[in-house]
Amino acid sequence: MAAVETVHAGGIADHVHPEPQGFVRKYIFSIDHKIIGIQYMITGFVFLVLAGLLAEVIRVQLMHANGGFVSADTYNEVYSIHGSAMVWLVVIPLATGAFGNFVFPLQIGARDVAFPWLNMISFWLFPPAGLLLFGSFLLGAPAAGWTEYPPMSLQGAPGTSMWCAAIFLVGISSTMTGLNFLVTLLKMRAPGMTFTRMPLFCWAQFATAPMSMIATTALAAALAALFMERQFGVPFFDPTKGGSPILWQHMFWFYSHPAVYIMILPVFGIISEIFPTFARKPIFGYKMIAFSSVSIALLSFMVWAHHMFTSGMAPALQLPFMVLTMLIAIPTGIKIFSWVATLWEGKIRYTTAMLFAIGFIATFTFGGITGVFLSAVPFDLHAHGTYFIVAHLHYVLVGGSLMGILAGVYYWYPKMTGRLMNDKLGHWTFWLFFIGFNGTFLPMHMLGLLGMPRRVATYDPQFQHWNQIESIFSFVMTFALLLFFANMLWSIRHGKKAGSNPWGARTLEWQIPSPPHYYNFKHIPTVFSTPYDFAEPLPYAGLEDELNDTPGPMPAAVH
Amino acid sequence: MAVASLPHGDALAHDDGPDQLYVETRELRLQGFLLFLVSDVVLFASFIFAYLYLRNTGQSWPPAGISRLDVAFASVNSMVLFGSGCTMHYALENWKHNNFTKYAVFMVATIVLGVMFLGGQGYEYTTLMLKDHVTWSGSGIFGASFFTLTGMHGFHVAVGVIYLTTLLLQSLHGKYTKDKYFGLTAGTLYWHFVDVIWVVLFSIFYLI
Amino acid sequence: MENRDPVVHLDRNFWIVTAIFAVLSAISVWYFGTLDFSKLQAESVTQAVQIDSLTRFLLMSSAPLFIFVIGYLVYFSVRYRARKSDPPDAIGTQIHDNHSLELWWTVIPTIFVVIMAIFSVKIWYGIEIEQPAGGIVVESIGHQWFYTFRYPNVHGEIPDAMHLELNVPVTLHVTSSDVIHSFWVPTMRIKADMVPGLINTLHFTPINPGTYKIICTEFCGTLHSEMEKQTVVIEDHAHFVAWYNGWVNKTKNLSDALPKAGAGAPVALAGGDAAAGQVLFGTKCSACHKVAPFDQKIVGPGLKGLLNDPKHPNLVDGQKATPENVAAIIQHGYTGDMGHMPDMTANQLTDKDIANLVEFLKNQK
Repeated sequence: MAAVETVHAGGIADHVHPEPQGFVRKYIFSIDHKIIGIQYMITGFVFLVLAGLLAEVIRVQLMHANGGFVSADTYNEVYSIHGSAMVWLVVIPLATGAFGNFVFPLQIGARDVAFPWLNMISFWLFPPAGLLLFGSFLLGAPAAGWTEYPPMSLQGAPGTSMWCAAIFLVGISSTMTGLNFLVTLLKMRAPGMTFTRMPLFCWAQFATAPMSMIATTALAAALAALFMERQFGVPFFDPTKGGSPILWQHMFWFYSHPAVYIMILPVFGIISEIFPTFARKPIFGYKMIAFSSVSIALLSFMVWAHHMFTSGMAPALQLPFMVLTMLIAIPTGIKIFSWVATLWEGKIRYTTAMLFAIGFIATFTFGGITGVFLSAVPFDLHAHGTYFIVAHLHYVLVGGSLMGILAGVYYWYPKMTGRLMNDKLGHWTFWLFFIGFNGTFLPMHMLGLLGMPRRVATYDPQFQHWNQIESIFSFVMTFALLLFFANMLWSIRHGKKAGSNPWGARTLEWQIPSPPHYYNFKHIPTVFSTPYDFAEPLPYAGLEDELNDTPGPMPAAVH
Repeated sequence: MAVASLPHGDALAHDDGPDQLYVETRELRLQGFLLFLVSDVVLFASFIFAYLYLRNTGQSWPPAGISRLDVAFASVNSMVLFGSGCTMHYALENWKHNNFTKYAVFMVATIVLGVMFLGGQGYEYTTLMLKDHVTWSGSGIFGASFFTLTGMHGFHVAVGVIYLTTLLLQSLHGKYTKDKYFGLTAGTLYWHFVDVIWVVLFSIFYLI
Repeated sequence: MENRDPVVHLDRNFWIVTAIFAVLSAISVWYFGTLDFSKLQAESVTQAVQIDSLTRFLLMSSAPLFIFVIGYLVYFSVRYRARKSDPPDAIGTQIHDNHSLELWWTVIPTIFVVIMAIFSVKIWYGIEIEQPAGGIVVESIGHQWFYTFRYPNVHGEIPDAMHLELNVPVTLHVTSSDVIHSFWVPTMRIKADMVPGLINTLHFTPINPGTYKIICTEFCGTLHSEMEKQTVVIEDHAHFVAWYNGWVNKTKNLSDALPKAGAGAPVALAGGDAAAGQVLFGTKCSACHKVAPFDQKIVGPGLKGLLNDPKHPNLVDGQKATPENVAAIIQHGYTGDMGHMPDMTANQLTDKDIANLVEFLKNQK
């Protein structure tokens, strides 16, 4: 066993601020990473409800080939805001802001993130951005899809500029969060918490943070350019003034492809925590899973143009993008195989979190495979811009990211609130969600290949019966989400008391009370090994006082 | 923490040496600041990519009716900025060597050179707009990319001038000591970053 | 790290389910291998056949992968569930890793990816690089929200369906006059975005006669959903020539001259030619307007009796229905309650064209 590093004396770890007492400083403008994580979660779920309602407007409209529920213009606004909100206001903030903030500082044995004030500012940029985005309906919302390709977005209603501003704000928030997490992970790990002993969720955040930082800044540049062109007529994208619409696509996708992994890598981390805990086994191939996260993050910066195969790029450029995209299948495959192997000879406990995690593997594998299909240029020439794409992206974003997030909520809810969510209702939620999800999105693959383009308010009547089936299943999925929210709200007061470690999990956050104290740890623990060896004693020292009445660390003098 | 008294002459106030908390905090801040600069580089890189991309879409360059930018004037102005980089370097070195007077002189020189650079850029903008009628929004991608990128850089220089002035005032009031001067380190890093960005902008706008 | 892991035994059940997955995989490979894609959707060009062969390959290679992953996932989930009889602190077999297994599941997918890449490149080469000699060059221009086509020696853009001849290779250049559109024919399995200021090219050779849909897949505004056109593949050479010569004759008096951008001054209407206006109406206006009473809309209102309709003394922009005000709408376009109509630049109309159109519309009483 490696030598134990000496505990820092008098450093940040021993520098505890007094807990703020007023309601505002404690729960609103809090600098506590746990409160901020929960704030992200609540805000993210509020936006999920709003964007989910928009999704149901889409599904109701598509019940009939001639539409008729809303006008074509309204429909275009609805799906544009649905897409933008789900990506920037729901999945990214939940995957990084919510779980990142709440979980990983606890997992590495830190008292907070490196820059708590910056963290608070990051969060408080996010709700105004959401209000701006949904508020754009008042001025005429953007209608060119979440990608807002010019020149269409240059013609767009005034709300399009609000869209730019909103996404710019969440972008800055995401950049600052990435920076904060990266420094925290590099500098604030507990003694003995080497990189090869970090829980895999931390590895996932470690791979995600630089992507949030770098890619999001590139998006900020694109948004600023679009905003300047719309408001001040500065030509970047308008071809009649010498600009190039393709330039936007390059700038947008240079961000938005890494963004796909910003949305899925943290979820990979969640799954990698849930699997060993409930299979009562070490995660299979720890190093390969950690390494594959990092290699996916690196590759993600080199594949953006695979979204642009039909836009008119030199054929010779298509080849490297195609091959690099296919390469991502290898690290992703390694992860999936490792998770499946983790189940082998386990003692699997079927909590709701585990069900969602297993469901995640099934749907994500499917979405991953159609992703490989799309990376092949000739196949993409057919499928691009059709419902096949819609199906693929929902398989990875809903069946992938969102299901992983739900699994994470069931898993960490007891740590956040001290109470368990109702497991029986959870099982119902899972099965309804899983069936509803597949029924909604599976037929879309076929419809796309048969000739149904995406972003249409009306369509060929020959596709109507399949669309009706999809809509009905989507109601089931929505109902399941309502059950989930009901469960969350009900359990805050009525859930079973969880205790510190209801799952018998071995990572650090489960060794302290639920919910944790303001200062997280009475004494910063020392770490001896990876957390996943169920046959061994816990590899931590210094946690003896956590669960008894010993007083916590004395706050240092107020500065 | 002992309240540092006003520095007299060439002697900086001393405290008992950096404590563990300061050392660790400094490391965090330094890393955070470097990462901030990295994301700022990405911001510039994105616009530089946009500029080079647009320039290579097959239009003549510079566009018809616009003369080439004035390299001679810009070179002199660049020298002013690079000079300020040197003075900034010496300012920090003198701080480290406990030489407060020289530090203050070099710091003031840096700020003055920064302001001169901004003045030069203002002159260049005025000439372009009044004589050649090149504007931000009315001169196609030339005006758009030139004014956006140099404007962004100019904004960074202006922020830098304000930042350095603040640092100078703070050091006059004894905020920094011989061992605790992270603010000055960050200011120096920022100023060098602004210099390096200008090297790139100068090359792509004036030289190629 | 030293290997602390227990020795792994694969029991009989494992091999039984593995055999079942192998059989299922074989069935799926056979199914996709013999599936007739042209039954699901016609293959109208040679490229469609090539792309379908790639799709077949992708399905045949990924189906077994999917079956094995999901199969083991389900099997392990059921087989290794904690039972009521297990003590509450029961744990699974403590296995950390297995280097040879991990090596295999890295190497095998890598080989798969390499094969897939080679196969894709081969098909890609046939579609994007190899170009058949000779044939016909057609241009298609996307507008909000219709397609027009240009043929050699046919003046101007024609709004008719895109007619092609069987087995004659086509080089299709596509672009747009306003925003990004896309040119997709599902039976061709290929598409190209129509980007303003950029020309994209598709090559294909029709091999099945028939009428096929052209669909826009790139969002282009309010009526994106309705942006559709036909392409007609004609077997009979004489039939195609008759269609083609018809358009050559109909358009011989039209000019190819493109309008000046941003024209501003009111258009002089004197000397308009109603006959030329009629042809223009067919190419430029009829996608959205009928010569029928006001309420018979396609995209915009019907234009019969535009200048002397007692029920509508004013035009849609609120101006009095006079020839000059009609010309102004054509010139500057219209955006309002009735929707959006592009201006003369976007519609590629000259001043002369407008005069001709107004003269034609005057006569539609």
